[in-house]
Amino acid sequence: MPPVIEISGLRKTYRKLLRQPHNALDGLDMEVAAGQVHGFLGPNGSGKTTTLRALLGLIGTDGGAMRVFGEEVPRRLPQVIGRIGAVVESPQFFKHFSGRLTLQVLAESAGIASARVDEVLEQVGLRDQAKQSVKGYSLGMRQRLAVAQALLKRPELLVLDEPANGLDPAGIHHMRELLQWLAHEQGVTVLVSSHLLSEVQQLCDSMTIVSRGRRIVDGKVADIIAGHSGSQLSVRFADAGEIGRAMEVLASAGDGVSVAAERERLVVTGAPEAAWVTRTLADAGLYLSELTTETKNLESVFLELTGTAPQAGQPVQVGQAVPAPPVGASAETATGGEQ
Amino acid sequence: MTLFRAELHRIARRRLSLLFGIFAVGGLLLITAIMWFNSSTGPSEADLAAAQQMADDANAQYEDCAADERYFENDPDYSWVADDPWYGEMPHEQACAEMFLVGAEAEDYIYVYTFQFDEEGVFLLIGVAIVTGLLSMLLAASAIGAEWSSGGMANLLVWHPNRMKVWGAKLAAALALCAVAVVAMLVLAFALLYLTAAVRGDTGTLNAAWWEDTLARLGRTAVMALGMTVIGSALAMLGRHTAIAGGVIVGYLTVGELLVSFVRFGVNSIKYPDLLSLYTWIGAWIEGRMELEYWDPVTGLPDQLVLTATHAGLVLGAIMLVFAALATWSFAKRDAA
Repeated sequence: MPPVIEISGLRKTYRKLLRQPHNALDGLDMEVAAGQVHGFLGPNGSGKTTTLRALLGLIGTDGGAMRVFGEEVPRRLPQVIGRIGAVVESPQFFKHFSGRLTLQVLAESAGIASARVDEVLEQVGLRDQAKQSVKGYSLGMRQRLAVAQALLKRPELLVLDEPANGLDPAGIHHMRELLQWLAHEQGVTVLVSSHLLSEVQQLCDSMTIVSRGRRIVDGKVADIIAGHSGSQLSVRFADAGEIGRAMEVLASAGDGVSVAAERERLVVTGAPEAAWVTRTLADAGLYLSELTTETKNLESVFLELTGTAPQAGQPVQVGQAVPAPPVGASAETATGGEQ
Repeated sequence: MTLFRAELHRIARRRLSLLFGIFAVGGLLLITAIMWFNSSTGPSEADLAAAQQMADDANAQYEDCAADERYFENDPDYSWVADDPWYGEMPHEQACAEMFLVGAEAEDYIYVYTFQFDEEGVFLLIGVAIVTGLLSMLLAASAIGAEWSSGGMANLLVWHPNRMKVWGAKLAAALALCAVAVVAMLVLAFALLYLTAAVRGDTGTLNAAWWEDTLARLGRTAVMALGMTVIGSALAMLGRHTAIAGGVIVGYLTVGELLVSFVRFGVNSIKYPDLLSLYTWIGAWIEGRMELEYWDPVTGLPDQLVLTATHAGLVLGAIMLVFAALATWSFAKRDAA
């Protein structure tokens, strides 16, 4: 099945009088497969929202190509917009309109039956607040209303920019279940940009990480995390005094193996497999008491890939990130490794 | 069509629409009440008797003054007249005539205002149409400006990416609302003012010529109200904020016209400086004809420029089209978020 979204070489430069041009998108590539929840991650200012805006025809681009459902956008966007539901950033509604009226006006503009309004209000958990004016809504309730309006069209593609913004834990859980149900039971393709990495890890099937307007990595979430874990092992001994000798043994036994003492354990990187460590140490008369594979979470992978891990005493500035691969060179993919 | 209906719904349901509606109807009721209480078909018997008494008193005072050469010296209230050199050089009778009414009549003490619908009513109806147009202009600017500043416009474009269709629907909805408001307000104003004139004043002669002239003037005013709505919408589309659109409108009406006044009085090289004022063209458009006069400072001979509704329509229409075209271009080309 062809990807629902295909973006290649997308460029967007913001130009302002008397200021340096800013490349918000610098040859971005992205693909989103059908029926998946796809995470779209990147540090602040990496071009996520710009990409979504460009995809939805809200802003013009300076190069590259985008296709949605096989149709070139934005030129053919009117032909496919009926199949797309979207929330870009946090939309503010007319404050004196009720939640229901807000949705009714939108539904009316697209010829959608008003019964659908009540369905989506129920789906996002706003049934009992439907008659309240938006002015009295909390940030989380507004976010739910925004998602409700995206669902009005029964979309085949749902594009959500930070959908968990302002939601309480129950709201986040509800939203996660809703989006997964839509993707896995209803066949809706969901593209979610988010900063909540643990949420993305739980919610998404696949993801694209961008930095400085370019793709850093994409693939299945589990594959990306696994691709950046696994090679690091933690070794402990009953007698911490054996750490020094164990370091010498392991370092001299294998090419490309690096060993570091860290408090009362050894951190081994580059070992071919865990069994090699136990065997090598046992051959030298050293018996370990604990051997664990260091599993990284998405946050540490994200920080590593985007180069935004904070250093002690050095705050990370917006836009400070690892330089992306040059245009033309493919980014890393989790399934294929370094290309 | 669905988008147009939704836009109409959106504007009509705004709180500002309700407030402006109340303001417009309230203002009309106030004007009607003022006309109702000020207008009268004639004085009552009691009013006439009181006025006659006042006239008689005035005549008696003059006669007392004329009969007594030392009237001013003897009356402490008028002793200053005797000392005033201007009055002192006059014959005494003339000074009395200067101080008091000569031959006063009851009519001199009666003020009767009778509301003439066929004459004054037309001006009031034109005023109602202009104010309704001004409110429509602000309402249209506010509706579009608020959508831009709230992010609602970007949200709408996610539903309807064809920007020309969105702009067309918004403009059509604002114009439809303006047209309905102007017609409704004119019908209501006509009914209230005609009733006032019928009961408390004089309806005058509403013959075929009156209807032809009045409908032509009101029709042109209604068209101008629609044009104002287009300009309000266009300014909000260009500025992307209600405050910017409102600022430009208020700025022109105050500072812009003030500058025109300075030019009018300060620059002699312009033969007809009134042409710089928008009000001149608006007046010519509504009235159908306006004459501007120029007196040659050297020869002292007059010259005249006649502005017709056609001239004014071309100028005002061109201004509206420029704003509409700029707004269309801006909406089509600029990033929406």
